[in-house]
Amino acid sequence: MANSVDIKYYLILAAILFCLGMFGVLVRRNALVVFMCVELMLNAANLTFLSFAKQNGDLTGHVSAFFVIAVAAAEASIGLAIVIAVFRSRGTVNIEEIRTMKH
Amino acid sequence: MEALKSFFMTAPVEPAVFAQSLWLIIALPLLGAFVCGVFGKKLGRGNVHLIACATVAGSFVLSALAFWCVNHAPPGGSPVSMENPFSSSAVRYAIGYDYGTWFAAGDFRVNFGLMVDHLSGVMLLVITGVGFLIHVYSTSYMEHDESGWRYFSYLNLFIAAMLTLVLADNLVLLFVGWEGVGLASYLLIGFWYTDAAKAWAGRKAFVTNRIGDFAFLIASFLLVLLVSAFSTQANVGNYATVGVNAEAAQARYREGLELKGPLSFPGLEILANAVPTTTENNTQAALSLQTTIQEGPLAGRTFGGVLTVTLLLFLLGAAGKSAQFPLYVWLPDAMAGPTPVSALIHAATMVTAGVYLFCRMSYLLVLSPTAMLTVAIIGAFTALLAALIAFAQDDIKKVLAYSTVSQLGLMFMGVGTGIFWAAVLHLVTHAFFKACLFLGAGSVMHGNGDETDIKKLGGLRGEMRTTWWTFLVATLTITGILPLSSGFLSKDALLHGVHHNHLVGFEGAATALYVVGLVIALCTAFYMTRVYVLTFEGERSKEARVAHAHESSRYMTVPLVILAFLSIAALWYALPLMPGRSGIKQPVMENFLGPVFASAERIAARGAQVKLDHSLPSGLDYAIAWVTALVGGGLAAFAYRKYFPARAGTPAPVWARSVRRFTQNKFYVDEVYDFLIIRPVKGVGTIVFKMVETVIDKGLVHGTAWVTNFAGITLRYLQTGDAQAYATVMALALLGGAVYAIIQVLN
Repeated sequence: MANSVDIKYYLILAAILFCLGMFGVLVRRNALVVFMCVELMLNAANLTFLSFAKQNGDLTGHVSAFFVIAVAAAEASIGLAIVIAVFRSRGTVNIEEIRTMKH
Repeated sequence: MEALKSFFMTAPVEPAVFAQSLWLIIALPLLGAFVCGVFGKKLGRGNVHLIACATVAGSFVLSALAFWCVNHAPPGGSPVSMENPFSSSAVRYAIGYDYGTWFAAGDFRVNFGLMVDHLSGVMLLVITGVGFLIHVYSTSYMEHDESGWRYFSYLNLFIAAMLTLVLADNLVLLFVGWEGVGLASYLLIGFWYTDAAKAWAGRKAFVTNRIGDFAFLIASFLLVLLVSAFSTQANVGNYATVGVNAEAAQARYREGLELKGPLSFPGLEILANAVPTTTENNTQAALSLQTTIQEGPLAGRTFGGVLTVTLLLFLLGAAGKSAQFPLYVWLPDAMAGPTPVSALIHAATMVTAGVYLFCRMSYLLVLSPTAMLTVAIIGAFTALLAALIAFAQDDIKKVLAYSTVSQLGLMFMGVGTGIFWAAVLHLVTHAFFKACLFLGAGSVMHGNGDETDIKKLGGLRGEMRTTWWTFLVATLTITGILPLSSGFLSKDALLHGVHHNHLVGFEGAATALYVVGLVIALCTAFYMTRVYVLTFEGERSKEARVAHAHESSRYMTVPLVILAFLSIAALWYALPLMPGRSGIKQPVMENFLGPVFASAERIAARGAQVKLDHSLPSGLDYAIAWVTALVGGGLAAFAYRKYFPARAGTPAPVWARSVRRFTQNKFYVDEVYDFLIIRPVKGVGTIVFKMVETVIDKGLVHGTAWVTNFAGITLRYLQTGDAQAYATVMALALLGGAVYAIIQVLN
């Protein structure tokens, strides 16, 4: 591993993934796609954790990444449940039509 | 005879005891007004009539008792008198009771005090007596009206307010009654409020009265300042004329001020007594009418000057209530109300308030010959103007209305020249015959399908016998064609007094006023005879609404008969039967009102500014007055029976037409007011309205609304409920934060 890849390329890749994810969250209208984009952002975060962990040489970043994956899994299951419930009640998963937050 | 005399001189109730119940006289009609007004609809017509009439009847009985108490002088006993809180000497022939402080602010204090003396006693009897008859009459007259309960409630309120006015022992309480009659008249004149014209008439009366009331208020304030200036500046010498011991009198007066406040009538009377007209005739006094006021808002003015201004403002106030020039315009329009209301307003209550006010304050009035002359001239001018307008009016009620304005002008002439007792006497007799005339007119209208145009009546003599002869008696009384009637004697006493009383400095005025008075008497005889002839004599008009008039019910005719009887019987008051202080026989009324006007007499005699005369009219005076009345009446009878019966449709002769039109339009006084006062005020009002509308309405009120609305529209986009929009904002904020952080790091 002598010629290991420089950390900044990992971070740049993570930033690109995060921006793609955020772009998706802001632009896409399908709730499921929005969820996938959120996962993308979380994974971008995981990537930075792991990069920094490798650079520091300890396991703290790995642990954090596991936690993020666990939380993301939990969030995805709840989020999917909500999306299914909304779809059942409204017949759509287009988030432009589901503006209940203004009430 | 002696037994009868002593019976009438001994009151059945101890005066001091009865005095405590004086409030009941006001409270009874007030209660009636309340019950009729609140529960009237449920009570039914009969009960409302019963309550309304019974309360006024109760008031009448109590008034009669009060009157009896005021005359209380049992053989061997002392005449009734009440303690005067302002002076050690008592108020003679008066009972009163103070129900404690009404309100007080600093030095100013007003007590709820009621007082009956000979003047207010007479007024009480007239108000409740004639008022009761009008109530009884109304039960039949208003039979077909849906909201009779409302009518009787207002009527009772009117009586209560007028009684307050008369019973008050201070100006503030009098003002309550003063406003009360204004309110009640507004309600009654506009009683048929669904008719716009009638509602407008009520409003006109109200607004016109308000102008006068405003003057009254300013005058009262001036009087408060005057009293306080007097109390500070007067020395012991001033009180030398008031009591036996001047120092005690001063102390007592100041106690009285603290106890009863500055606007109490007994206090004003002491003040008037303590101010000499010139310094020469009381050298010890620090203060006379010419003295300058030293401190307070009036500083720099003389006492006499302020007093004159005050009295002139009171005159304006009285002009509003008593329908004198320049504020008489509301009274003829007040004919829009039900006829018994006109009778009540015109005869017994409201319009007499001004005359009463000046008689009550006669002692102040005689201090200012200028004010007296102004009162007399205003009275004479009004009387003449109204009499001339009455010539050409075809509406029976309008003629009577102008006649009232004219007769009140005569009373003001009397008040202005100092013949107060005759003014009061004429007030009383006028109450009788004018009430009789108005109720008679109401009866005529009732029997003729509400026809008020005298040209479309006629020939009622045979069809309405009772109305006919009572109207005839009242006409003969008011015109003076019948020399042995109260109207003739009271008017003559008035004119005689006007002729013989002298205001020093205005000597020519007396004769001029007398001549004007005779002209007015002539006019009165003419237009009243015209009304009588056109209504009751001759043929029935072809344009009459109903073929045959029917006589009114007994509830209407009995009051007419009583009033007609009283119109004649009241002549007793004008006969010189009672010996005065000097031993010469005086007219009963003059003798009777002597104690009330004693101060005025004394002040007039001391000041030598006003010379009051007590001689009786001679045979020649009577002859002149009688001939005047006969000529006026004869002319009218001749003109309207033979020369031009002036039926509707028959045009007046060419030469008379323009004069007639001019007079019929009331000399365009209303139009002049409209042009000179109402339009400019309206113009200013419009300008101010526009300004207010632009600045406050458009600018401030609408501006605030616009800013809020704009902020709302803009901020709405922050509350769409769109999660993505929120996330965008968050992302942009993060971006901004990051950019800021980078800039900071790079720096």
